[in-house]
Amino acid sequence: MRLNLRTVFAATVAALAFASAAHADQLDDIKKKGVIVFGVLGTDEPNSFVDPKTREIVGYEVDIAKAIAQKIGVKAEFKQLAVAARIPELQQGRVDVLAASLTHNKERESQIDFSLTTFVTGQKVLVKTSSGIADVPQLAGKKVLTVKGGTQEPNIRKAVPNVDVVTFETTQQAFLALQQGKGVGYVNDEASIVNDYAKLGPAKKDYTILPTSISVEPLALGLRKNEPALKAVVDNTLRGLESSGEAGKLFVKWYGPATKLQFDKRSFKIDSDKI
Amino acid sequence: MPHFDLSLVLHGQYNDWLLTGLRLSLELAGTTFALALPLALVVALLRLSPNLALRTLGAAYVEGIRNVPLIAHLLFWYFGAPELLPDDLKQRLYARNAEFICATIALTLYTASFMAEDIRSGIRAIPVVQIEAGRALGFGFLQTMRRVVLPQALRVTVPPLISQTLNLWKNTSIATVIGVAEMMYEAARVETATFRSAESFAFVTAAYLGVSLVITGLGVWYHRRYPVRTA
Repeated sequence: MRLNLRTVFAATVAALAFASAAHADQLDDIKKKGVIVFGVLGTDEPNSFVDPKTREIVGYEVDIAKAIAQKIGVKAEFKQLAVAARIPELQQGRVDVLAASLTHNKERESQIDFSLTTFVTGQKVLVKTSSGIADVPQLAGKKVLTVKGGTQEPNIRKAVPNVDVVTFETTQQAFLALQQGKGVGYVNDEASIVNDYAKLGPAKKDYTILPTSISVEPLALGLRKNEPALKAVVDNTLRGLESSGEAGKLFVKWYGPATKLQFDKRSFKIDSDKI
Repeated sequence: MPHFDLSLVLHGQYNDWLLTGLRLSLELAGTTFALALPLALVVALLRLSPNLALRTLGAAYVEGIRNVPLIAHLLFWYFGAPELLPDDLKQRLYARNAEFICATIALTLYTASFMAEDIRSGIRAIPVVQIEAGRALGFGFLQTMRRVVLPQALRVTVPPLISQTLNLWKNTSIATVIGVAEMMYEAARVETATFRSAESFAFVTAAYLGVSLVITGLGVWYHRRYPVRTA
């Protein structure tokens, strides 16, 4: 047949029509491939970060991800993503599940599905003590620094209406900018802020974590919409971890009194995906 | 996939964000152009100078700057260089719009290194007899350049300079990595807020393309109105 424009067009339309009709279940695809790809941040200690000694990605969410992979019976692969790229990469199929400090909120529910909430934290602001700022309302009219593409910017703008927000590609750059004095505050999840604060070491005395949380962040795993089988397996694994006490042990392992975070007890249970 | 709804970015809050970004992009490009062109002229003349030390200085500037990616320049001038300043200068810089200032410095140095080469090529296109005639009339190097060579070189240099201006206009988008709230930054912000990447980037593409076509049109007009005079 002659390869003219009309033929190519008709063939494309036919191919697309068939492509949308043949929608295989994601869980089946994962089992067939033998691999499940988790999108992680890899830079958010202790949820997912690179262990300096073994150069592997480890963390609270990484352990949960490994448990899910084991339950399905496949190998777990981890792909590092930027904060702003998490949801697009999931939607475009480059990762199967997001385990990337992802907040479950109403706006995102229109784009993706969420597993049971795996962690509840707040968002806080870290400032230099020398700035004289004692709490969040004093940030009015000042410059705060954070990462692009997360819930940090909308939350701080809601908490302090006339704040000036400058965002960077990574949380590390935003934190560096705070240390250099380019802004007065650095906004991030409370667990990450406490971790960064602890890592400051002797410089800790120059910094203060402002007491008021600007939001409550229920973190959960991210799933594509209309994948009930995968969601069921993920949620059941999480329920299993909770009921066996494993989830509690994971909390203590990554957030407990022996770690930099020093949280003494868990304020949540992994039992619900409602916010 | 939800249908493509351009009105989301043409009215209301998101449109405001994108227009603010467009204005800042234009300001950044304009400021950089105004600073880079004189600097490029100076560097081009340095490279053509009869003095070896000045020639080496000019060559070192061009080779050192244009061979490093722009994003590295931006990160250096924003995170690296200000920390080397004495404390009071540093605080004064940070009290003002440090992101814009550092982006302007990085873009100016980068763009000037390319423009200097284009200006130098334009000067070299003028027959060397012009320089000899200028020197024979008693003009020094700089005077010969100013009175005889550069006015002729201008017509030859404008098309490549238009090209560099286009590059500059597009390069302003890279300033987003140091927190300059220009158009790409605002587009990413709209995308995060609405999950509508298609509409957000359609607006931005149209804006970049529109201004680029204006710059190109200016070049075409100049070339028609002031064609290169052959000897």
